[in-house]
Amino acid sequence: MKSHADFPITLSQACGPVRAIDLALYAAASGDHNPLHLDEQVASEVGFEKPVVHGMLSMAFLARMLTSHFRVGAIAHLHTRFTGVALRGQTLQFQAKLEQVVDQVAHYQLSVSNENGAGVIEGSAQIKQLT
Amino acid sequence: MIDPKFIGFRTTPTILRVDAWRVKLFCKAIGENDPVYWDTQVARNLGHQACPIPPTYLKAVEGDHCTSADLLQALGISVKGVLHAEQSFTYFSQVYVDDVVEVSREIVDIYEKKSGAYNFVVVDSHFKVKDKLAASNKQVILIRNKATS
Repeated sequence: MKSHADFPITLSQACGPVRAIDLALYAAASGDHNPLHLDEQVASEVGFEKPVVHGMLSMAFLARMLTSHFRVGAIAHLHTRFTGVALRGQTLQFQAKLEQVVDQVAHYQLSVSNENGAGVIEGSAQIKQLT
Repeated sequence: MIDPKFIGFRTTPTILRVDAWRVKLFCKAIGENDPVYWDTQVARNLGHQACPIPPTYLKAVEGDHCTSADLLQALGISVKGVLHAEQSFTYFSQVYVDDVVEVSREIVDIYEKKSGAYNFVVVDSHFKVKDKLAASNKQVILIRNKATS
């Protein structure tokens, strides 16, 4: 992909390690109180060694990376598929790769992986050029 | 297989005000430190009417209207083995703290894969401010049916 003045070819960011308090704050703020995200016992009963990071928290970090770079209101569309899980204590890696710019809208491919390199999210975003 | 008769089911819209304190808690949780989300004066200086909400905060607004678990339970669908498979948002205009938002949800598709082992329910949500659609979102919920997997 050719470089574009307003749209970098790649963006990346790391978030974490995601701590127990981050998950508790997100549970309170989002209203998602599922104990899978908060309680080690509940997580272990379904096969996870630690509580699972809310998929929507990872998506919120991803959106934050985009709005931090492109400003408030720049996202026209954001899509994610939750392909894996991140666990409490892990640091997440976020990446956006520019695919094309059509009618001044940049199309980015998005990915999030956990610290083992396993995929957590695959997605896409459309970013408007703000005047 | 989940009965496809539920396709087209709509919630009764509710009217909710975007709460400043809750948005700040959300910003704290997601590590959003940009003062535009925290300080009304900074937001106004940048041309905004108030502090904006982070893009995915609409999911919290949606939950105050009707969570996906509540929606499935209301339809008699077991929430055991439920996974959040996909989520998307489409934004038409920025939503701000203190905006009054009309929220509604609609089941737009139900389908299965792997001979019924995986059932999918697709739910759209709509967010209107002053009668204009400000944003919509789409959630794909995966319900694993252990009996046939």
